[in-house]
Amino acid sequence: MPGLYPGKVARVHAENSIDPNSEKVDVPTVREMIAQGMRALTDDADARDSWARLFVPADVVGIKVNCSGAPGIMSTPEVVADIVRNLGTVGVKPEQVWIYERFQNQVDTVHYDRFVPAGVHIWTAEGRRGTILNYDPNTYVDVNFFGEDDTRSNLARVVSERFTKIINVPNMKDHGAAGVTGCLKNIAYGSFSNVARSHSGFKTNTYSFIGTLASVEPLRSRTVLAVMDGLRGVWHGGPFSPSRKFRFYPKQMIFGTDPVAVDRLLLDVIDGKRKAEHATSVWDRSMAHIKGGNGYDENPSIDRFVREPGHIEYAGKLGLGVYDTGKIQIRNIEI
Amino acid sequence: MLAFFFAAVLPWLYWDQGAATADAVKQAGIDRLYVPAEQETAWKAAGFNARAFDAAKFVKLPAPGVEYRADVATATNVPWVDANGWRFERGRSRAYYYDVPWRKAALAAAEAYAYGIEAVIHLEPRDLPAFGRMLAFLRGMESAELPALANIGIIDDGSRETGEVLNLLARRNLLARVVTAPDPKYELNVRIGSKEYPKAEAADPSAFASLIRRKLTDEKRLLRLYGSDVVLGRLTGDATRVRVHLINYGGGKVEGLRVRVRGAYTHGMLAAFAVKSAALIDYNTADDGTEFTIPEMDVYAVVDLKK
Repeated sequence: MPGLYPGKVARVHAENSIDPNSEKVDVPTVREMIAQGMRALTDDADARDSWARLFVPADVVGIKVNCSGAPGIMSTPEVVADIVRNLGTVGVKPEQVWIYERFQNQVDTVHYDRFVPAGVHIWTAEGRRGTILNYDPNTYVDVNFFGEDDTRSNLARVVSERFTKIINVPNMKDHGAAGVTGCLKNIAYGSFSNVARSHSGFKTNTYSFIGTLASVEPLRSRTVLAVMDGLRGVWHGGPFSPSRKFRFYPKQMIFGTDPVAVDRLLLDVIDGKRKAEHATSVWDRSMAHIKGGNGYDENPSIDRFVREPGHIEYAGKLGLGVYDTGKIQIRNIEI
Repeated sequence: MLAFFFAAVLPWLYWDQGAATADAVKQAGIDRLYVPAEQETAWKAAGFNARAFDAAKFVKLPAPGVEYRADVATATNVPWVDANGWRFERGRSRAYYYDVPWRKAALAAAEAYAYGIEAVIHLEPRDLPAFGRMLAFLRGMESAELPALANIGIIDDGSRETGEVLNLLARRNLLARVVTAPDPKYELNVRIGSKEYPKAEAADPSAFASLIRRKLTDEKRLLRLYGSDVVLGRLTGDATRVRVHLINYGGGKVEGLRVRVRGAYTHGMLAAFAVKSAALIDYNTADDGTEFTIPEMDVYAVVDLKK
């Protein structure tokens, strides 16, 4: 990160991509969105060439899905399946593809296995919550936020020991602590252990922690593509989505290698939706809206934490990408 | 002599179920026990090394374990660990008595053994097999008569505040020993009520423990544990070897515990209660520390490190 195309994103919107009533995904439309998005990102006429710029047959590819809101919202299985199909077109066999996430109980609700070819691995770091066995004991960020004794967040072993490339597939979601959860948070908090400690109080440490984790090698250099899945979105209560009340349907996907640029667009999507719904802005830092308990579940004017959408700009300062919208090249495509 | 020493520190059972239950006790592998005074003769006749129990000769301890205080607002969901190690530090010359609920007998036995204290444990009869298995595990341990290691010397004034500070230090694996005067072998000597450690600050023992940790610095800590909030450690050792006692208060198995011990040790050997083929993984020495992972642990594990 920021990869081959810093400061460049392709946004594809397709009205028919998902039916908001049934949440049924239109597979041919999704396939076309991915093809056009990748071509626009790489300026190739053939999508296969686009994928070939980023992947070679020998690659072992991790697909970092996001299942924290599952089964209501997650990296859409049809999207993930088409990514696997595209990897196949450049010679990456199913056995070389690993769909990965931290928590097994979340992934189990999605059933990716029903959508992808046999041989694709579906791997979670924590079959049992809290186990550290699938994290690399030698690759970690050591930081003490509030006096906790376990000050380490370790990188998933598959990232450091197995993958040669990673595709990041976040959703378009609000996040009570981080402001939004997109590319940066998905790849950072979804690849390291013991991260929830960064948002244990009303004022969180997400501002700097997300970018710091994302910049750790080899995670940083192996994450070569982001496919932001915005068929569905969550405008409040994220990253979870226990009910459909706060779910919405942007019907779009954003393609890039630069997580900061992609997330910069996400900020406007989520904040725009929150404004339209008369909810507090993701930039609002007033303590007046902050309340403990579960009130935020029902009321979009209640927040659990002071949001830190500035984590995206901070990641830009770490060199992970371009934050300034004036410097981001956006290709908008309508299907 | 050594055998006698370890026989002395193995915890005893206090069993009040009557000599008619002798077979069950034997099946648990137990041949010595405390019993109500009126049963002593019957138990001796049944072939046991039986002693009459006199509660007045023992200090009663709370049951070890954890409490998940969902009704108390805290910064984290880290459970409250009820551990007695700090009590042993305060009064090592006394004998102790546990009266524990179901599923706590093995934990109490491990805790007592780890601190080398004389303890008698009264348990629920259905816990007898687990207690027996723990005793068998402890009997099988290689003997190691080593002094306790710590970073911090606490000059104990006997006050409730100092006790609570000792408790909080132990819960955070900040290894402390009670001393009567500052001892230069510790990185930090703490006298509550001194200018450096005002008594008023000890009124919040959690913040006070954090203050001590900051002054010590994590880099100097002899022991660090990663991957569990419910495992507490104790360290004993000399110039050539160290024994790490790890006690899991959580009630469930811990999958993966990363341990860092200050100092370079080339050999490490794991003994883990109720875990078959236990072995350390991801062992390495770097930056003046030795690190390893315990793949799985039940109530108690012991790691012997040698240079």
